[in-house]
Amino acid sequence: MDMVVDDVLTELEFSGYSTTSTTTTTVTTDDEYGCTWNDWSPVVDWDELSGPHDDFHDLIELMIDDNSTAAYHHHVGNAEAAEEDAPEMGVAAAEDSKGLRLVHLLMAAAEALTGATKSRELARVILVRLKELVSPHDGTNMERLAAHFTEGLQGLLEGAGGGHNKHMLGTGSHHHHHHHDDHHQTDVIAAFQLLQDMSPYVKFGHFTANQAILEAVTHDRRVHIVDYDIMEGIQWASLMQALVSRKDGPPAPHLRITAVSRGGSGRRFIGTVQETGRRLTAFAASIGQPFSFHQCKLDSDETFRPSALKLVRGEALVFNCMLHLPHFNYRAPESVASFLCGAKALNSRLVTLVEEEVGPTGDGGFMGQFMDSLHHYSAVYDSLEAGFPMQGRARALVERVFLGPRIFGALARIYLARGDEERHSWGEWLAVSGFRPLSVSFANHCQAKLLLGLFNDGYRVEELANNRLVLGWKSRRLLSASIWTSPDCDFFN
Amino acid sequence: MERTLFSQSETHFLHPNLHVNGHDPNMQSTNNQPQSSHTSTSRSSDSGEPTGDGKWASRILRECARAISNEDSGQIHNLLWMLNELASPYGDCDQKLASYFLQALFCKATESGQRCYKTLISVAEKSHSFDSARKLILKFQEVSPWTTFGHVASNGAILEALEGETKLHIIDISNTLCTQWPTFLEALATRNDETPRLKLTVVVTASIVRSVMKEIAQRMEKFARLMGVPFEFNVISGLNHLGELTKEGLGVQEDEAIAVNCIGALRRVEVEEREAVIRMLQSLHPRVVTIVEEEADFSSSRNDFVKCFEECLRFYTLYFEMLEDSFPPTSNERLMLERECSRSIVRVLACDDEQNGNVGDCERRERGIQWIERLKEAFSPISFSDDVVDDVKALLKRYKAGWALVLPKEDDPGTYLTWKEEPVVWASAWKP
Repeated sequence: MDMVVDDVLTELEFSGYSTTSTTTTTVTTDDEYGCTWNDWSPVVDWDELSGPHDDFHDLIELMIDDNSTAAYHHHVGNAEAAEEDAPEMGVAAAEDSKGLRLVHLLMAAAEALTGATKSRELARVILVRLKELVSPHDGTNMERLAAHFTEGLQGLLEGAGGGHNKHMLGTGSHHHHHHHDDHHQTDVIAAFQLLQDMSPYVKFGHFTANQAILEAVTHDRRVHIVDYDIMEGIQWASLMQALVSRKDGPPAPHLRITAVSRGGSGRRFIGTVQETGRRLTAFAASIGQPFSFHQCKLDSDETFRPSALKLVRGEALVFNCMLHLPHFNYRAPESVASFLCGAKALNSRLVTLVEEEVGPTGDGGFMGQFMDSLHHYSAVYDSLEAGFPMQGRARALVERVFLGPRIFGALARIYLARGDEERHSWGEWLAVSGFRPLSVSFANHCQAKLLLGLFNDGYRVEELANNRLVLGWKSRRLLSASIWTSPDCDFFN
Repeated sequence: MERTLFSQSETHFLHPNLHVNGHDPNMQSTNNQPQSSHTSTSRSSDSGEPTGDGKWASRILRECARAISNEDSGQIHNLLWMLNELASPYGDCDQKLASYFLQALFCKATESGQRCYKTLISVAEKSHSFDSARKLILKFQEVSPWTTFGHVASNGAILEALEGETKLHIIDISNTLCTQWPTFLEALATRNDETPRLKLTVVVTASIVRSVMKEIAQRMEKFARLMGVPFEFNVISGLNHLGELTKEGLGVQEDEAIAVNCIGALRRVEVEEREAVIRMLQSLHPRVVTIVEEEADFSSSRNDFVKCFEECLRFYTLYFEMLEDSFPPTSNERLMLERECSRSIVRVLACDDEQNGNVGDCERRERGIQWIERLKEAFSPISFSDDVVDDVKALLKRYKAGWALVLPKEDDPGTYLTWKEEPVVWASAWKP
């Protein structure tokens, strides 16, 4: 009897919690006594169990459509109402709803990072979700844009707490961002070329400034242009061509360009300032434009010192300040301010300013600026798509090389500045500092319109002030070009 | 017994911002009742505290519960959407909790709890089989003492109370698929020189379980034959509520020594009827009554949605974390247990008690101290003997670390199973 009991005991497995002290070991599956509690049984079919769950998720998604009330009715059993109101999901509608969803998620993440009830953990989780939904290389404009914004927010999340976000700004837009460190020279040049071809941003800035300069120096024999950020110098190539081909006027003046240069590790991918100088010099020679090139180094903290400029009596002084063209780098406000102050100190006859047009940002807090930034870049993406609708890869290159890093940096700046007062434009700064606006000529305005006409009729130019033209895409204003003269300069009186 | 939980005053010293859970008058009288989550800093159940880096799911869930209570439809909409984006029944604990509680919140917001619950039940019933149920229970028992704790304590108390009797009649009100009884039968067969007769009457309430009882009956009878225990097995099902049980209905005979074993049974009774059920149990004149319940209070706050929600969240967060800790990472059984929770959660949070006469079990748990108040009306407590306590301790040693046994002071009966120092299951024994 005992033996039988022992045998049976070893076959029982009740998680070993027998009240006797025998330790039961794991068992055989002998069916002899019909008491084999350890047979394997078929696994439960999950698909069968998932029915109500799926309906429920779809319903939530329906809720975020305009037809949210329909979703409520539907669920409470009002079948007729549901049929009438059920949203039609054509492809465009589906894309829109995904786009809307991405925007909601981005907003939620931004809110979690900086809102009244901050939660880094929640932000992290939302960003994980976003990354599942988007990629910087594929998908619609909104999806690619959302991917870059997601990366930007991720950077803030990782840096928040350390001082890392300052590094994100850097002097080079690729400074902190992992995959931008290995931009090849050829990629950058190609991207720039494409940017020029696909969109009027660069030309708009250059041509508006150049036209204003031409008009301001018609009778001068010496012109000195101080350029805050010469980059590849292409603005001056076209100015020189215009100078040389002036009809009915004095011969081309001597043109002197002083390029502001930065010591240290500015990004080098477009080549050094010296190279630009050499190129311009060669070009000037080739078209017969009297030309000389100089550099003016900024301090280590990028402050501009007017005393570092070499000035010549009788020259018409122009300060050229291109700030936010798509392929440009971020420049610290203190540096820009020092440059513009320099213009004032030296009584520059003309100041040409091109900068990003900032939208209304409500109370100026992080969320407002974040949304504005999203709106801004979404317009830029759309405009590029209009320029090259079929060339997804080309656009992706421009986005990757230029726009992605800009977005990354823009978010870092907004984040660092949150809580500060509403940001001002440099135009406002100039006005407050006493600079006087100069009218944009009719010719200049017409030129801008002609330029845009070469691209896509989604672009438009507005004269928002008598000294200011603004380039926009559809309803979104993007880039502002304005002209000014120093407070004490009496040339235009 | 040494205490593993802080007393109330120590709690306040360590966490001065905490407010003690609930306003149950019972709790204030005794300092040494095991407090709930406030002693453990990892539990984030306090609604008022700003949690900079706290668990994201519980924050959003609680905000949503508040929004529903305030009828702030914009916020509700927003938060449900966010939860929907981030939740997943297959993700980490946060995502799972988000997913299941989202379902309940959605049902509450759209007043569709009853329909949802019915659907969940019917889906579960369709896929429920003896094999799957058995596998589930056994696997759970293998990795966690959550259920076996109560079995061991109850069996020990019953064996001791019925020592020397020759005709035993155990009335088992539970849904444990009789996993408690093989060990009991074995003990009956080996402890006594003369093996007593055992009549086992199982009262089944969950509809899901009824379908498999036939097979269980066969196996139990076979096993009893094997053990050499004279055995009779009956099943009672289809009751509308437990109060309908009678001596005659249960087949109780005068010469039988009765033991009533309630495992997770009392919580399935509608709150207003609990008193009547306890009196019914009293009318059976049992020698011993063993009660095992999960330690949570969904009953005293049932008219305060936010409070009830928070307690629900606290309890199920604990439960889910325990499941995660106990089971291997990819486990179907764990998923099934979580799915079961989803039904309970919907039932407690989104189903109106008044409207739900026949929508299955109530699920409103109460804490040990609350049950004690009820049971004291009809019974007096029995302490678990040292032998039983030793058996339970031996049981706990077989599992992963984290489990402990807590015995309260002498005047309070019952024993608590704790996990990571949180009381989770309460077991007690009573006599007339």
